[in-house]
Amino acid sequence: MSNGIPRSKSRARSLFSTAALVASVALVLTGCSGGLGGSTDGGASAGADGEPIKLGMIAPFSGSESAFGDYMKNGAQLAVDEINKAGGVNGSQLELLTEDGACDPTTAVSAANKLVTAGVKGSVGGYCSGATLPTLPVFNDAGVVMIIPAANSNQLPAQGLDNVFLINGTGTQQAAAAVKYAQKMGATKLAVVDDNTDYSKDLAVSFTQQSKDAGLDVVLTESVNAGEKDYSANVNNVVKAMPDFVYWTGYYQEGGLITRQLRDAGYAGTILVGDGSVDKKFAEIAGAGYTDNVFATFTQTPDMLKGAEAWVASYKDQFGDEPGPYSTQSYDAVRVMAEGFKQAGSTDTKAVIDALMAIDGFQLFSGPLKFTPEHTLSSGGFAILSISEDGTFKLEDDLQG
Amino acid sequence: MTQLIWNGLFVGSFYALVAIGYSMVYGIIKLLNFAHGDVYMLGSFTGFLLLGSVSGLLGTWSLPVLLLVLLLSMLFTGTIGVIIEKVAYRPLRSSPRLAVLITAVGMSFVLEYGIRQIFGPSPRVFPVRLAGDPIFFLDARITLPQIVLMVIAAALMYFLQRYVMKSREGRAMRSIALDTQASLLMGVNVNKVISRTFFIGSALAGAAGVMAGAYYGSIDFLMGFIIGLKAFTAAVIGGIGNLYGAMLGGLVLGLLESFGTNWLGGQWRDVFAFACLIAFLSFKPTGLLGERVSERM
Repeated sequence: MSNGIPRSKSRARSLFSTAALVASVALVLTGCSGGLGGSTDGGASAGADGEPIKLGMIAPFSGSESAFGDYMKNGAQLAVDEINKAGGVNGSQLELLTEDGACDPTTAVSAANKLVTAGVKGSVGGYCSGATLPTLPVFNDAGVVMIIPAANSNQLPAQGLDNVFLINGTGTQQAAAAVKYAQKMGATKLAVVDDNTDYSKDLAVSFTQQSKDAGLDVVLTESVNAGEKDYSANVNNVVKAMPDFVYWTGYYQEGGLITRQLRDAGYAGTILVGDGSVDKKFAEIAGAGYTDNVFATFTQTPDMLKGAEAWVASYKDQFGDEPGPYSTQSYDAVRVMAEGFKQAGSTDTKAVIDALMAIDGFQLFSGPLKFTPEHTLSSGGFAILSISEDGTFKLEDDLQG
Repeated sequence: MTQLIWNGLFVGSFYALVAIGYSMVYGIIKLLNFAHGDVYMLGSFTGFLLLGSVSGLLGTWSLPVLLLVLLLSMLFTGTIGVIIEKVAYRPLRSSPRLAVLITAVGMSFVLEYGIRQIFGPSPRVFPVRLAGDPIFFLDARITLPQIVLMVIAAALMYFLQRYVMKSREGRAMRSIALDTQASLLMGVNVNKVISRTFFIGSALAGAAGVMAGAYYGSIDFLMGFIIGLKAFTAAVIGGIGNLYGAMLGGLVLGLLESFGTNWLGGQWRDVFAFACLIAFLSFKPTGLLGERVSERM
């Protein structure tokens, strides 16, 4: 008796372990077949077989910012192609639909409605913050998860919508990097110039606030009107305020002109520009000899990132052009979205949001991904760039030390 | 202070060159040619192409080459202006004014997005950049290129004034502005004179485009929009339809912007300039030199 019980117990245990082994082998096998065959398992929950999962992208393809639209579209398309080649998501292929937002709120809202009607499951666009903001409720009402690759106004997360994720560093994070660099340079009198757009103003306000908190003196905040050529009147105001550090928070076209006109007007101090100004054209517009002592705050671009050579090569191979700003972020937006669908096992809004929030350490160009409770990146990844002789931006200081 | 005046006058001379075309066309056929700003854009793109093709000559012969390019671009944009009038405005001359106005807006889009298709959306950088060391004059920083450009602008306006006021063709233009029907009955070839007006106005806008490209350096397909709006404003300030008014209006608008920015900050510049415009027009609706317009009507 005293013997029997342990024996039976041990037999039960061995039986159990055999069953567990069989079960786990079976699990591994189904897991494999799901991954390799890629149709039966996830397909049921992701929608009908063969029906692609549509991703929408609103980007500027016309208007003054239209250069960025193609960079974003190509970056996203590259990710879609790679994912599809590897078997798609949950057994379905991805399909990218693009709409022109023209950097204009009205156009962007109708573009968003169009995408929702077309049945997109996720949105991977959004360049101009001002045009992206009014599209948030449209996508939210339709239960479409948004991963915004470029727009980064603090206004976007401030709406508190649970379907909105930002994978570009926010204005606050960028302003923090700018202030940190100003302190490092020993600047005491700062001037900030914006172009009166949502994104630019947001960055300028954030910069002013954080500079004051850091005990730096902001001697001038100036706004210009984008799209003009002559900024002599604004430049005159800046020069008169006698700053030793100027932060331009707008886009490259005006940025190049303002840099040139500032130097022509006799300003010799440091000029720092925001991420909207980081483009090869910036140095061209400013002109040779005008880019000394000019720096930029930016999340690192493909050519600065180690190990991105292969990515740049395949981009060039497919589109016959160099990748530009926000190509990588758009590429990452699609990959993050796909990861969310994969982890959720479906495209159900609630499940995808939970899956995205659970992501920890997914590798992006800007570093490992972990969303904050506000659905923004936990680290902005902003670095300071300088301009090399051929006009490209290169890493100057990653602000880590 | 002198710096503010200088900045204002310099920007104002660009406005004035473009405003002349607006004003002349309005004076003669009472059409607000909204495509006019885009002719300015076309001028800078023509200059960009021409300069690109002679880039070997640029180092030593910059200024003469630039002047030649300026002339060729003026010829080209002038011709385009004539074609625009023939294709888009002449068939509608007897239609309601609104129809022609909408056609003008359409023409503006055709030019903008046509150029976008050819040159792409990103800005292009001019192969020649006018740069020079500053000269200080009464505390104002003035550069040689600024002086050269203002002299060119002044010379163009001077020749135009001589042409309109002294020549036979100029007299025909003024007579059409006064009364088209009567001029026709007196044997003036109205179509020919209108074509010529479009040629001159567009050539001046083209010249301003090349000069802006060479001075500021970056050109893009939408650059004509804002300057078109500004030139229109300048023409209204000066008294639309009046040649001297357009010149004066351009300079006044430039000065208003310059001083507005200085007093109130950049964000208030346009508010200030356009509030002045509204206030001004409510007291003197015909503009600064507008009497002659009311005589014409």
